[in-house]
Parts: sequence; structure tokens; C-alpha cells
Amino acid sequence: MSHSDKFDVIVIGAGHNGLAAAATLAKRGKKVCVLERTNAIGGMAQSRDNDGTSVPYIAHLLHNLNPTVVKELGLSSAIKLKELPTIALDPDGRHIEIAGNKAQYTDGSAHPDAAIYEEIRARIIKFGQLLEPMAARTAPDLSEGASFAGLPELMPLAKLGLKMKLMGKKEMREFMRIALSNVYDLILDDMEDGVLAGSLAADSVWGMWTGPRSPGTVLSLMYRYCTGGQSSLPIGGMGAISHAIADVAKNNGAQIRTNSAAEKLVVEDDQVTGVVLKDGTTIETKAVMSSAGAFQSMMIGGHENFDVEAVRRLRNVRSKGTTAKVNIVLKDVPEIAGLSDSQMASRLLIAPSAYYIEQAFNAIKYGEMPPAPVIEAVIPSLSDTSIAASGKHVLSAVVQYIPYYLEGGWNDKARNKLTKIVVDTLSKYAPDLRDKIDYTETLSPADIEQETGAPGGHWHHCEFSTDQMLAVRPVNLLARYAFGIKGFYLCGASAHPGGDVSGLAGRNSALQLIKDGAAS
Amino acid sequence: MRKPAKKTEKRFTPQKTQTTPFHPRTNQFNLMQNWDDWAGYLAANVYESFEKEYFAIRNQSTLLDISPMCKYRIKGPDARKVLDRVVIRNVKKIRTGRVGYTLWCDEEGMTIDDGTIFRFGKQDFMLLCAEHMYSWLQDAAWGYDVEVIDESHNICGLALQGPTSYSVIKEAGFKGVETMKPFDLREVEPGLWLSRTGYTGDLGYEFLTENKNALKLWDRLWKAGRQNWGLIPIGLEALELVRLETGFIAPGVDFQAAHAVSRVGRGRTPFELGFGKLVDFNKGHFNGRRALLEHQKNGKRYNLVKLDIEDKYPADSSYVYVGKEKHIGFVTSAAWSPTTKRNIALAELEAPYGDTIRDGIWVEVYVDKEGKWYRINAKATVVDGSFFSNPRTRQTPPGPF
Ligand SMILES: Cc1cc2nc3c(=O)[nH]c(=O)nc-3n(C[C@H](O)[C@H](O)[C@H](O)COP(=O)(O)OP(=O)(O)OC[C@H]3O[C@@H](n4cnc5c(N)ncnc54)[C@H](O)[C@@H]3O)c2cc1C
Repeated sequence: MSHSDKFDVIVIGAGHNGLAAAATLAKRGKKVCVLERTNAIGGMAQSRDNDGTSVPYIAHLLHNLNPTVVKELGLSSAIKLKELPTIALDPDGRHIEIAGNKAQYTDGSAHPDAAIYEEIRARIIKFGQLLEPMAARTAPDLSEGASFAGLPELMPLAKLGLKMKLMGKKEMREFMRIALSNVYDLILDDMEDGVLAGSLAADSVWGMWTGPRSPGTVLSLMYRYCTGGQSSLPIGGMGAISHAIADVAKNNGAQIRTNSAAEKLVVEDDQVTGVVLKDGTTIETKAVMSSAGAFQSMMIGGHENFDVEAVRRLRNVRSKGTTAKVNIVLKDVPEIAGLSDSQMASRLLIAPSAYYIEQAFNAIKYGEMPPAPVIEAVIPSLSDTSIAASGKHVLSAVVQYIPYYLEGGWNDKARNKLTKIVVDTLSKYAPDLRDKIDYTETLSPADIEQETGAPGGHWHHCEFSTDQMLAVRPVNLLARYAFGIKGFYLCGASAHPGGDVSGLAGRNSALQLIKDGAAS
Repeated sequence: MRKPAKKTEKRFTPQKTQTTPFHPRTNQFNLMQNWDDWAGYLAANVYESFEKEYFAIRNQSTLLDISPMCKYRIKGPDARKVLDRVVIRNVKKIRTGRVGYTLWCDEEGMTIDDGTIFRFGKQDFMLLCAEHMYSWLQDAAWGYDVEVIDESHNICGLALQGPTSYSVIKEAGFKGVETMKPFDLREVEPGLWLSRTGYTGDLGYEFLTENKNALKLWDRLWKAGRQNWGLIPIGLEALELVRLETGFIAPGVDFQAAHAVSRVGRGRTPFELGFGKLVDFNKGHFNGRRALLEHQKNGKRYNLVKLDIEDKYPADSSYVYVGKEKHIGFVTSAAWSPTTKRNIALAELEAPYGDTIRDGIWVEVYVDKEGKWYRINAKATVVDGSFFSNPRTRQTPPGPF
């Protein structure tokens, strides 16, 4: 390999975060190479084409694509989003349509809890937006003189950085009161449990090993809503987002190499100098960013290069996925009684009460699939004909809680059972669904791990909980992207601020790398 | 071999205090029945008379039951790598048949403990130390082809220390010991390991063997040493004085072991404890290396120093001052040293006191004269090297003295 092939930065993984990191660096003149293990870019944010029907392979809706990332990378003209209202499905047919903070029955009549719902949701969004600046920068450094009891550290910081005072005393006190509590109590203090309550509770637990009664769920709901809480469908499919980011990187000179798994770093005198690929090739570089999981990144760096305590923590990062993906290709659109054609194109939610969600969560504790899972479904082909040239339709379903460690293990039989549970659950609302199915594709958390490398198939790569958040994400003392070895950075969902298709982890990490002068 | 930690807070001992395999003998000699708890074992404080034991260490020969020491066997193809990952010094330089003193740190560069590495073979080591380290060593060994075995309870240790210790060994019939240099380690007889090491700064040896050989070993040395070489058993009190004369530091006393403290800022780096020279930054990554490089760059916060104090009153728990009355630290260990005829102490001073600034240091000594307390301000001089040293310690072959 000639000398001119030396890169400033090699990014491991072409998920959207790796790509956002590469684009951020390339825009600042860095010579960047992205290495992707699989034959496609996007990671968990990609579309897969099956006979002219494009399915959102894993992630399907945007709710947290960060505006700063969009602006900095100049993505706004390259991507097209369609905001979708949520239809919270009711087993008794009294479905609720939620647009922004407004909720009403799908027939247009008023919901008795609409006002209180609006108040709660608006407040969570407001608090979430206060937290957003914390997400859009490197996690605070608490190593000087602080003890890591975890979240309580957030309070003084929140006070400090987040213009909390401007909210007034009452609101500030309210933030302190609820931030560490659970969503179940928060919502049901003011509302009847039911479809509307369920819709809020569901948004606090996606991808996580928590139920609405678990502490920390109010905080995760704030994070989920930190850019406004709106769900949008990416036109052209989820893959279009990853490709738009990849284009920014490429247009600024970055290389992206698929089928190139990074195996090991070359480390000389505690400084990264290269990456060895699985095929044995070595590429020279000044710095490396990894969007693989935290533990996986440590292994790429070589565990011998990490301190004993760091290895122990990284071995114990909690990342057991709880979410499965079922993609159903349809010959035709099914019907749900009470929903208009345009309402069918909404984000469809099966989470008929907070209690229902908590029940579904119980099963996973014993390695079982819940008979009645929580489902977020969307039929993107109704909004975006470009993805269904075949004339077919796609129902994309994110299914929770499905255990990574299934009792008896994951195999075809288990996968078929999961498909059946999902189809049965959906059929309660759309009885003609079964007849319209062309074929299904089911990915358990174990399959997602297999396909994307995400540890445990976890939505966030690293459980998004107070002990793995902010200054302790993924672990204490490695929370500021710099990852032990000089020139090595973590840049995927397992880093601060966490998962979702947001681009922040990749972008923040790249900025930190530049600030540290690691690629100069 | 190092002295045990003198803990202010006793660790939880899961069961009744154990007795060591030497107990049938130590018990018989312990006229005072004055025992302490050393890592969960009964250990004699004083057998008969502290003075008699102390002077025997400096003039005759003595036996100390060191079985309570923590002993971790580390063996396998990656044994050397694992130890190098753990400790600050270069383990490659400890050849087979040698013993090396070292410290090890946590990820923040704070000293966890000090101890000795015994190298039995290319892939076979033992780490001896005061603090329990098993689960932490298991963590350190993760991912390596190595076995970490806690042999603390199957292997016993007996220290034979004092100017006539070589003579005792010779008379006991051990062969070839005359060629052993300081820090040499040998399997002198099958299953019996002998090292020329110790905590007294004087000529001395330490035996390690399986518990079942304990009494045979004791009796053999006792028989050889009793008649001509003044051999007696000694307890922890005499040990404490000689280790201080030698200038050895003790966890829990002169520094706080990083694993034993929860308050921020209580840990100390090897630089601050005076062992900066042992740190080998060129050997590859080791625990706390990055933090230690930072500490090296930012400079020491404290200096653990040896003080020679005017006047005769031991400066236990004294404050240390400079100039008019600027408080700069405190004494961690202190004693009147009968052999060197000096009033000695270890003290922790705020840097740069103790290295670049050494003038005008004094201690406030508190003296109890039959129930009445006096305060004495005594001048203190920072001492380099150990308080006690004698060429006989290093002479090979050793003389009979
Ligand atoms: C079922 C499910 C549904 C989800 N739905 C949504 C949703 O609707 N909306 C949303 O916002 N979020 C959703 N998420 C979460 C979101 O998809 C992820 O948080 C996000 O995509 C993570 O992006 P990333 O770039 O950090 O990691 P990934 O997308 O996991 O990318 C990591 C990439 O690194 C590659 N890689 C790993 N190791 C190596 C190596 N050694 N060498 C080279 N390459 C390597 C992988 O192949 C992969 O391409 C969902 C997650 C799950 C599991």
C-alpha cells in the first residue's frame, strides 16, 4: 500500500452514524474511508429491494433525525419527509388520531382526555427540547470530583446548560420531580388508562428493556420527543436517508468500501496507525472511528489495550435487544374498520393501554414472546409509490417485546411463531390482512444482530437507561467518544446520545475527534 | 515479603478467624496470646517481648509466619502478558528464578497495592500482596490464555530474617543456598521454594510450600537455629518497626489502596509514593498507563517521604508544617529506631514539599507524659534511601555474622 493511501480517518461501519461521521469529517477536508462489513450501506437504516418492492429493512420512521445534522450536512434538499399522524388502534374500534399534540377519535369526535393529553405531551416535548442541546454535544465530563451515581448528575447540568431557570420555578420543580420517575405513574396520575395513555407509554420504551412502570421511562420519552416528537416517513425509504448522508461524504471526497470488515486496529505506542481488514489488508490511518457496538469496538481495538476496569465494564454493557421486525409484502391494502384510506397511511399503533404494554414486557423477562405484543406499523407504499413499482404494498411492523435470548433459541419454528403472533395481532384490527399477504420477512433480535452486527440486535446498541446514559454511556470514563487508544473513537448508537436514526452520535464524535486534533 | 495492611476498618471476614498451618507452633510460643487478625488469619502481635523480637531481627535470626499473605498463582502461555498488563514495571525483566517488587494501579493511575512477583518458570508466576485481589485479577486475565489461582489458603509462607539467617539455613541442611543473590528464587528441595527476600532490609529468606509441609519446615529450622543462631519467632509489632526502618510502605497506613476507598482524591500514584522509577512506559499498555502519563505531565500532588525528626518522641499522627505555620501534610507511620538511633517517620506532604522544597520542615509531636499532653515542635529532615541499610544484606555468599 503506497503512502498516499494513508487516510486521516477510517470509519468502521456504514450505518447512518458512521456515514454522518464520515460526512462531517469529509466536509472539513479530512481524507476519510468508510469500511462496511456487509454489501450494503445504511446498517439498521436501509431499504431492501425485493422484486421491485422496497421494504424498510429495520428502521422505518424518523422521529429524531436531528435538525442540526440535517443543517450541517446540507441534507434538507436531498431528503423528503412526510409527516405522519399516529392512529392509536382500539380493540373496540374507537381508534384515536393523534396529530402533533392534538388527539381525537378517527371519526372526528372529541376525546375526553384530549386536553390533558395535550398538556402532558407538550410538557414532555418542552423538557425534551431542553435536553436536546445535551444530546447535540459530547457528554459532560464529570470525572473531576463527581461520583457516578448516574442520573442525579444530570440535574445540576440541566440547570446549568439548559436555561431551566427561564421556565420558571414551577416548571423546573416539575422537571426534577418527573425526570427519574416512570411513565406509567406520570400518565395515569392524570389520565384514564386506555388507548391514548398507551400511545404515550409506548413511545417511552421502544427498543428498550423497560416497561412503562420502569424508572427512567419519563427520561427516555423526553429523549424520544427531543426534536418535537413527530414521526415522519422518509420518501424513497429509510435507505434514502443513509444514501443522502453517504452522498455528502462521497461528494466531499470520502471513500466508502462495502464488503470490507474491519478486524483489528494496528496500534503503535498506544496510537492507532491502521486497520487490518478481515481479508488481511492493512490500511494506514491517523485515526479510527467505530460505529460497531461498544464491546465489539473494544475487541477491534484489542482488549489488551484497554484498562482492566474498562474491559469489565464493556463486557457488561447491557444490550439485549427487545424489538423484532416483521415486513409483510401485500398483494393489496388491508382494511381497518373506521379508518379512511388516508388514515390507513398513518403510523399505526397497537398499544391499547399502558397496562397492555407492561403485560407484554413481562413475557420477555422469562425469555418468552408475548401473545399480544406492542406494534408500530406503517404502510409506506400508501404515501410513497416510488417504493412499490411492483404495484404491491408493504406493511412494516416494529414488534416489541421480543427477546434476544428466546427460551429454546431462535430457529425457523420460533420465527414462524413470531410471524403468526404479529399477523394475528394485526388481524384483530385488519381482519382481511391474512388474505392479502404475499410474503413475510421476520427478523428476531438475534437475526438483527446477525445481519447488522448490532450487539443483541439492540435498537440503541447499548441499553438506553440511566446507568448507560450521558457521562456513563456506554460506560464510565469512555463517554466522550475517545475510546482508550489514542486516535480511536466510538461513533455509533452505543455512544452518546444513543440510537434512533438521528445522526448525532456520528456527527458529535467526528467533531470531538477534530477538536482533539486526532486527525491532524 | 511485605507487612499486612493495618486497617482502620476491618474487612468482612466470612468465617471465624482461621489459623495458619504453623499455628500448633506459633500458638505454643505465644505466651501473651496476643493475636491480631491478618487477612482473616490469627497472627501473633507479640510472642513474648517486642524488644526481644526486634533486636533478634537485627542481631540474630527470626521466624515470621507470613501465611496470611495473599498468593495468586498466574500461569499459562499468557501469564507474563497478564502480569505486564497489571503491574507498572517490566515483568520481562524478572527472569525465571527471580523475585521483583512492584506496584499496580487502577485505570486512574491510583495505586491498588504493592507486592512481589515470584517467577517460578517461563509461564509460571506468583503474585504476593496484602490486599485481596482475586476477582480483580480475574478481570485482568479475561481474554488471555492463562489461569489465575488463589493459593492463599493452600500455600503457607515462613520468613526467616536476620543476620544469622543464612547460617540457620545452612545448618538445617539446605544445599547451594550460598550462591543465592538478593531476589533469587529457587526450589531448594522438591516442593519447597526459597527466595532471598524480606521486609527487614537485612539478610533474610522466605519459604513457600504447601500447607502440609509447614510443621516439618518449622521444626527443621527451629532445630537448626535454636542452639547457635538465636532463632526466635516474631510478631507483627516487631515487623512494623523493621519495615519502617527499611522504608517500606504499607497499604491502609501510608497510602490508601485504591480499591478500599470511595472518596474522590484519596488514591495515590506510584510517583507520589516514591516509585516513579519503577514505571515503565515503554513496555506496552498496562493498567492506568494513560492516566499515569497524564499525572506525569501534570506533576505530583503529594510526596510520600521519609523524615528524620529531631528529638526522641515518635511523631505518630503528627501534622507536618513548613516555615512559620503552613500545614503541608501529616505523618503516616512513625517510630524511634533503636538500630539507627534516629526518630523516623513516613509522611505525606503536599507537592512540591519533600522533593524540590525541603527546607524549614517541622512536625508537631504530641507527647503523653503520664496523662499530661505536651506539644513539641521538632525539625524534620527529608531522607533519601532507607533508614536502615547494612552491606551484609547484599553480600553473596552471606557471612555467618
Ligand atoms: C427493530 C428495530 C426498529 C427500529 N426502528 C427505528 C425507527 O423506526 N426509527 C428510528 O429512528 N430508529 C429505529 N431503530 C433504531 C435505529 O435503527 C438505530 O438506532 C440506528 O440505525 C443505529 O445506527 P448506527 O449507524 O449507529 O448503527 P447501525 O445502523 O447498526 O450500523 C452499524 C454498521 O456497522 C457495520 N459494522 C459492524 N461491525 C463492523 C466491522 N467490524 N467492520 C465493518 N463494518 C462493521 C454494520 O454492518 C452496520 O452497517 C430501530 C431499531 C430496531 C432494532
